Amino acid sequence: MNSFISPKGFATAAVLSLMTSAAFAQEVPAGYPADYAAVIEAAKAEGTVSVYTSTDAAQSQKLQDAFTAKYGIKIAYNDLGTNGAYNQVISEAAAGQVTADVVWSSAMDLQMTLVQDGYAEEYKSPEASKLPIWANYKDTLFATTVEPIGVIYNTKALTEDKLPKTYADMITFLKDNKTTLQGKVATFDPEKSGSGFLHHSNDARNRKDFWDLAKAMGDDGAKIYSSSGGMKETVVSGENVIAINIIGSYALDWVKESPNLGVHFATDYTPAFSRLALKTKDAPHPNAAKLLIDFMLSSEGQALLAGSGLPSVREDVTAGLNIKTLNERVGGGLKPIAVDEGVLEYMDQMKRVQFLNDWKAALGR
Amino acid sequence: MPRHGNANLYRNIVIGLLAIAVLAPVGLIIYQSFLSAPFFSKRAQFGFDAYRYVFTDKAFYKALGTTAIFSFGMVAIAVPLGGLLAFLITRTDIKGKRLLEILVLVPMFISSIVLAFGYTVSVGPTGFVSLFIRDIVGIVPWNIYSLPGMILIAGLSHVPHVYLYVSSAMRNLPSDLEEAARTTGASIWQVSRDVTLPMVLPALIFAASLNILLGFETFGIPLVLGDPNGIMVLTTYIYKLTTLFGTPTYQLMAVVAVVLILITLPLVAAQRRLLRNAKKYAAMGGKGARVSTLKLGTSGQVIALSIIGFWLFVSVVLPIGGITVRAFVDAWGEGVNLWDQLTFANFDRMLDVPSLSRGIVNTVILSVFGGAAAVAIYLAVGLAGHRNWGLSNTVLDYIVLLPRALPGLVIGLAFFWVFLFVPLLTPLRPTLVSLFVAYVVVGLSYGLRLLQGTLIQVAPELEESARTTGATIGRTWKDVVIPIVRPGLAGAWALIMIIFLREYATGVYLMGAGTEVIGSLMVSLLQTGAMNTIAALSLISIVLTGAGLALALRLGAKIHD
Repeated sequence: MNSFISPKGFATAAVLSLMTSAAFAQEVPAGYPADYAAVIEAAKAEGTVSVYTSTDAAQSQKLQDAFTAKYGIKIAYNDLGTNGAYNQVISEAAAGQVTADVVWSSAMDLQMTLVQDGYAEEYKSPEASKLPIWANYKDTLFATTVEPIGVIYNTKALTEDKLPKTYADMITFLKDNKTTLQGKVATFDPEKSGSGFLHHSNDARNRKDFWDLAKAMGDDGAKIYSSSGGMKETVVSGENVIAINIIGSYALDWVKESPNLGVHFATDYTPAFSRLALKTKDAPHPNAAKLLIDFMLSSEGQALLAGSGLPSVREDVTAGLNIKTLNERVGGGLKPIAVDEGVLEYMDQMKRVQFLNDWKAALGR
Repeated sequence: MPRHGNANLYRNIVIGLLAIAVLAPVGLIIYQSFLSAPFFSKRAQFGFDAYRYVFTDKAFYKALGTTAIFSFGMVAIAVPLGGLLAFLITRTDIKGKRLLEILVLVPMFISSIVLAFGYTVSVGPTGFVSLFIRDIVGIVPWNIYSLPGMILIAGLSHVPHVYLYVSSAMRNLPSDLEEAARTTGASIWQVSRDVTLPMVLPALIFAASLNILLGFETFGIPLVLGDPNGIMVLTTYIYKLTTLFGTPTYQLMAVVAVVLILITLPLVAAQRRLLRNAKKYAAMGGKGARVSTLKLGTSGQVIALSIIGFWLFVSVVLPIGGITVRAFVDAWGEGVNLWDQLTFANFDRMLDVPSLSRGIVNTVILSVFGGAAAVAIYLAVGLAGHRNWGLSNTVLDYIVLLPRALPGLVIGLAFFWVFLFVPLLTPLRPTLVSLFVAYVVVGLSYGLRLLQGTLIQVAPELEESARTTGATIGRTWKDVVIPIVRPGLAGAWALIMIIFLREYATGVYLMGAGTEVIGSLMVSLLQTGAMNTIAALSLISIVLTGAGLALALRLGAKIHD
């Protein structure tokens, strides 16, 4: 890092740091504006940053540890689930007791709702230019990951070469193997799972044949689950043979620890969602919040997340998977869900009810 | 005993404080049910829209019907079985009584979500027991993901709740009536049917009504076992309302909670009437009757022990075995040799991730110290109601059973709001105190019953003699009552500790950074699929419960009173 500072600047910084007994100037990351040192200083004075999230601590522990090691700022990490995070943010704002500094959630629609309803605050991150255009919504909402949606299957029951290569083939596959798959197909219940709703409705927005897929699942007596855990466990045990529209980033990790689990993606169409970060309005630790968001988006932070199984939105990250290598891994059909108002389409109650009714009809419930 | 006197002030203060603690969240929920948006939203308007939605929703009626079938089915299994176990253990000379008394209660101390996971691994469609049976007979002859499956599992796991009530009623029965019947040549089964059963009928009915309440608020078993096939009960219907409309619809959740309260109130009234009748029966018994036990004989011993053994196998060994296996493997089920999958890796995460280890520590703190504080509170409440049959006692009874009607999830959410919006309480919200208060309210009916049971054993004569020497009621309690019940307090502490240890739904909305608890961590981990971690946490929770139980016994806990 120091190599980017001229010898003279370095000397000045060294003197400064000796004088102030804290080395703020040296810590300004490369390419950041010079006045960033003030942000760091203020953030350190704040001392802590509170995160409301739906991400298991296990998946972000390395990121948290590195951030704290780098700045000496503690992260108060609240894993509340997607609904919990949303619920607490709006409740706290109403009570005038805002505690959350950063909200980091995989519920893209809820995050966008928070932005639209005025719970978030714009922040021009120095890292924003490194992100794809679709990953930054008006400098308010940032995609920190890109996570493919795919299928998991039980390797004792199926082998990868038997699995369909395209989305359309999946429909045929479900129809052709009705006897072996009867009652052994799992998918998210969009009524009980916000993530499930997001994945299914995104498919419905993008694929005319989504309803054929839903119908085919219904004909196979598909079972619906409100959580990833329920689906994973039943496929691990062979109770279900295949689970459709599962969070692929988790699945890529699961297959490492569960030997009879396989993960598979369609080569023509692999949607991907993102975990979105925002800085809250009236955040009690606004500078620490900025620092954390920048760190999450930086190549260092992205590498730590990707190394923990949450693929990076940046192409320049080499640890784990990044958006480019992920696209190769899934066969070239990666279609990230853009961070824009599109994710709100089904927040319209009429459309939502209609979608759920169509879904239940397709599944024959 | 004087009905009035200087205890009235104390009594009213305690009942008043308790009323605030219980009625604040409950009142908030009722208020919320009449609004069109979250109560804190500017858009919220007063009206009946939420009721209109729920009462015209087909899914609601379906869930209500399923809940009723579920609860009554559960009672139909738990009450006869619990009654039978109580009879065998309290009224006969069955072998290994002391051990059985402890074992019989074990399912009660494991959270239903852990039980449900355990059953999936052992007797689920690809559970190791199921596959073993399938290899022998060709098919798996059961399906735990069906309503009958759920009812059976819930019924078996609620046997201890029945046992607790019925065994204490049986213990207080004089045995002379039974013995008289025996001398006329009646068989042990005739005696139990014609003599014992009528006398403990009030206790059985009481246990049945309490179990119906428990059935209405069950969450873990329907969540894990009912969900996949779309079997929904009222609590999972409430859960669905958190996501159905994209953003949580608190007004609809509140309406369902109000429905649950309305179902509960008549039950509480019925229980009170039963209890009054039960006192008549108790009066018939008289005091100090020598309790002798019926002789089972050799074949009787074998049959009785087999029944209990089979029940224990199904409701203790199968679920705990399942969880234990799951905690040490990374794959299971169809075509998997469990020995090949053995691993300790599932426990590694506890050390790597501070929130998990913190969750374990917090759970222990909340159980051990929170449990002790809770017992002190329950004792204060118990004394306020002690030897008091006035109006305030009626109020107390309803207040105590009100939280019982509400799912822990809803109480937790309501307390989250109370701690967020009540000015003086706000600093306590991010601390374990908020969880503690919610836990105390959730454990209220159980805890108070434990304490009342202990207090009632203090012979009134002792208190009366203290009073005649001029002692105040306060002094009588301090110098006579509390010293006598002290051993009971220790036991109650250990039992409350275990109840707090297994709680999961209450903490879902209340826990935050630094205040994680095991049960609620498992619920949030379920969302991301960390089943390996969940299994490890479940096992840790069972081990902690075992330690709590051992401690309870060391302290001389009288579980059955």
